[in-house]
Amino acid sequence: MNETSIRSQWTDFDWQLVHPGPLMPLRHMALDQVLLDEVAAGRRAPTLRIWEWAAPAVVIGIFQSLKNEVDAQAAQAHGIQVVRRISGGGAMFVEPGNTITYSIYAPLSLVEGMSFQDAYACMDDFVLQALGDLGIRAWYQPLNDITSEGGKIGGAAQARRGGAVLHHVTMAYDIDATKMLQVLRVGREKLSDKGTTSAAKRVDPLRSQTGLAREVVIQHMVDTFRRRNGLRDGALTPDEQAAAERLIGEKFGTEAWLAKVP
Amino acid sequence: MNDTTRNPRSGHGEYKIPGGKLVVVDLRVNEGRLKDVRLSGDFFLEPPEALDAINAALEGLPCGTDAGHLADAVRGALDADVQMFGLSPEGIAVVIQRALA
Repeated sequence: MNETSIRSQWTDFDWQLVHPGPLMPLRHMALDQVLLDEVAAGRRAPTLRIWEWAAPAVVIGIFQSLKNEVDAQAAQAHGIQVVRRISGGGAMFVEPGNTITYSIYAPLSLVEGMSFQDAYACMDDFVLQALGDLGIRAWYQPLNDITSEGGKIGGAAQARRGGAVLHHVTMAYDIDATKMLQVLRVGREKLSDKGTTSAAKRVDPLRSQTGLAREVVIQHMVDTFRRRNGLRDGALTPDEQAAAERLIGEKFGTEAWLAKVP
Repeated sequence: MNDTTRNPRSGHGEYKIPGGKLVVVDLRVNEGRLKDVRLSGDFFLEPPEALDAINAALEGLPCGTDAGHLADAVRGALDADVQMFGLSPEGIAVVIQRALA
């Protein structure tokens, strides 16, 4: 499309794996911004981050209305914290151990000249391959879903900042669809062009499709990424940890951010 | 539609753009004009600040504005570098009209 620009290859980069232990939801939100900024500034090599959740959460997209998307009473009754992330897209419901969540922080040159649609699919190609190896025929369903014959497996969201792109995915591993529908307000309008009227039926978790432990699926995803692109084990730096802590206080933990769209 | 009462009424519209994302609007109508327009949804928009520009572009428009002019107002408020994914000026026009219906 843009023949004068130079698109980089996955193998051009020294990819780092960051997979710390369980973190609180607000910490995850803040880390997405910190790591995206660090990659944009060239202080951090392109990174794959695998998330582990220390507490249940509803994560809403940056443009979503808090009150339209979440049943605050139900969330509170279940002890579920509501947080807002920096990328667009829809609300997700997570409990420790029931999703597979990851982020890729990459230089924008990786998707140079691509349409948004191609950029989304490109970032998850390694996951489709990994799932295929595990016997799940999965494909990218535009705009931003990973799906299978059994139903939707996960959704992706991207955000761009400076010279970097964040690609964020949550896949259902063993989701409690009943509880999910109690806390998320999934309207009929949203499902109107999906060929189904039930959000619960849309989601088919990876556990039922693979019969494999969550850790096994994650390990296979990481191995697949490593084989294709190279991947070094890395860690969050103390500066990054401190920056995330600061952002929780200044932004992600504030009512102003959570209710940015009330 | 041509609300001329002094008391503002509120409107809420939702529209799943075919092949795109859900766009939602909450607004009020005051003396026949759009007020407190607040667009939301699970779409993608870069840079995110463009959402404020879209809301501002719709603010104060007469309730009777047709879909083409609503879409034009949105388009006119956006810098050249703004990118929408799953969202369109035409889709925004539809959701505004739904909120007023």
